[in-house]
Amino acid sequence: MTILALSFASYLFALWKRPLLYLGLVLQVVYIFSRGAELGRLPLVGPHDTLIFLAASMAAFAAAFGFALKDRSRFLNAVTIVVAVFTAFAMTAKQHNSPLPPVLKTFWFELHVVLAFMSYALFGIAAVFGGVYLKDRQNSSEGLGYRAVLIGYCLFTLSMIFGGIWAYLAWGTYWIWTPKELWTSILWAYYSLYLHARLRPWWMGRPMAVLGIAGFAITMFTYLGVSLLMKSSHSF
Amino acid sequence: MNILKQILNFLLSLRTTIWLLGISLVLLFAGAFIMPASEEFQLLHSTPLFEWIQNQPLQLTWWLWSLIGILAVLAVNTLFCSIESIISKRKVTHWLLLISPQIIHVGFLFILLAHLLSGIGASQGMTGAVEGSVIMLSGDDTELRVKEINMNYDSYGYLTDWDVSVEYLSAGDVLYRDMIKPNQPSTRMGFNINVKDLRPFPVEAVLLQINREPGALWALIGGILFTVGIVTLILLKIRMER
Repeated sequence: MTILALSFASYLFALWKRPLLYLGLVLQVVYIFSRGAELGRLPLVGPHDTLIFLAASMAAFAAAFGFALKDRSRFLNAVTIVVAVFTAFAMTAKQHNSPLPPVLKTFWFELHVVLAFMSYALFGIAAVFGGVYLKDRQNSSEGLGYRAVLIGYCLFTLSMIFGGIWAYLAWGTYWIWTPKELWTSILWAYYSLYLHARLRPWWMGRPMAVLGIAGFAITMFTYLGVSLLMKSSHSF
Repeated sequence: MNILKQILNFLLSLRTTIWLLGISLVLLFAGAFIMPASEEFQLLHSTPLFEWIQNQPLQLTWWLWSLIGILAVLAVNTLFCSIESIISKRKVTHWLLLISPQIIHVGFLFILLAHLLSGIGASQGMTGAVEGSVIMLSGDDTELRVKEINMNYDSYGYLTDWDVSVEYLSAGDVLYRDMIKPNQPSTRMGFNINVKDLRPFPVEAVLLQINREPGALWALIGGILFTVGIVTLILLKIRMER
């Protein structure tokens, strides 16, 4: 937990000293690996571990996307705030330390979860680019937001496919009618709409930026809202 | 003739796609709030969608009926747009860039087909069993015998692993022997038999789930096509930008 507190502090101070963002990311990666070694499995069960993975993924993608921007300070500051908030919530959430039930011990589950959270992180990056675009109207921000969504959509689709394969092997069906599956469909249809809309010139610019921001709100509800508030196959 | 042309233009339009996706989203949003509030949806786990939906009041299912209709139009729209795109751009040099979105579309159509087939013909049954239990599987004389149940626990009492050996019988003769493990169902004769739950006391018992999922193979093919298409598209876009 000390490593996690240090990583949180690094993110906070990264608003003044940029390299601390990367230090925060490294500390978070160390924490994830140490949790994995301690538990003997992928630490991606429950809000504590998943929020940390989401924060680390966002920081890592932000570092990669940041290189494509001339003026990256506004973008990186916004990502740093989001990542610090996720880390703070993770620190208050209960750790899930018990062994996994046998049905979760499969690489289909691991791929499903890892890809889902990487896609959520990319949707978050796209939302930040959307916010930056609304502030400074640089076309590069909007274009990078689109790329983040395109890659995120690919990873999200893969996550759904792997989840379907796993569900078929574990429960005999690739589709279950629960709120989580419905919200996952909403998220997938939403970003399908986003990608198709961008092919039409009318949607370029501000509408795309707004769609990117709204998309992350749906992402967060699909991830936390449904899992915490509704009874589903993915409840925490 | 004019009406036919208008219908064709409607089905070939990207604007139609965007509208249909938008309407689907609104319907899914409505369903996301109706579904958790209605106990009737619990029956959907064990009844094929098209059988269930016909026996439910319209105030619960209007969004699903509408969604099915919109998805049907979207499927036709997808098919028309893909064919039109291939015909009109067939002479482009980057044919992979042309074909990869169409592969994604075909994958999507296969996934829709899978849901349609499962919606019509899927079935699910559950039954408790102990060692020696014999379960009738279908209308003919095929039966399933639970031969042995094994459960392993760690020192803290957590279940770490289990397996259930089963036999398929016909007129008392053993046709197949199989072993059900976590994420390893027994898939014989069109059935997918897995263990939903286990109980160690007073005697070792399992809750067996017996599924038929006619759309599963189509969903897998659709998923593979979608993956191939989208990964190819992204790799091409990255390469073209360099």
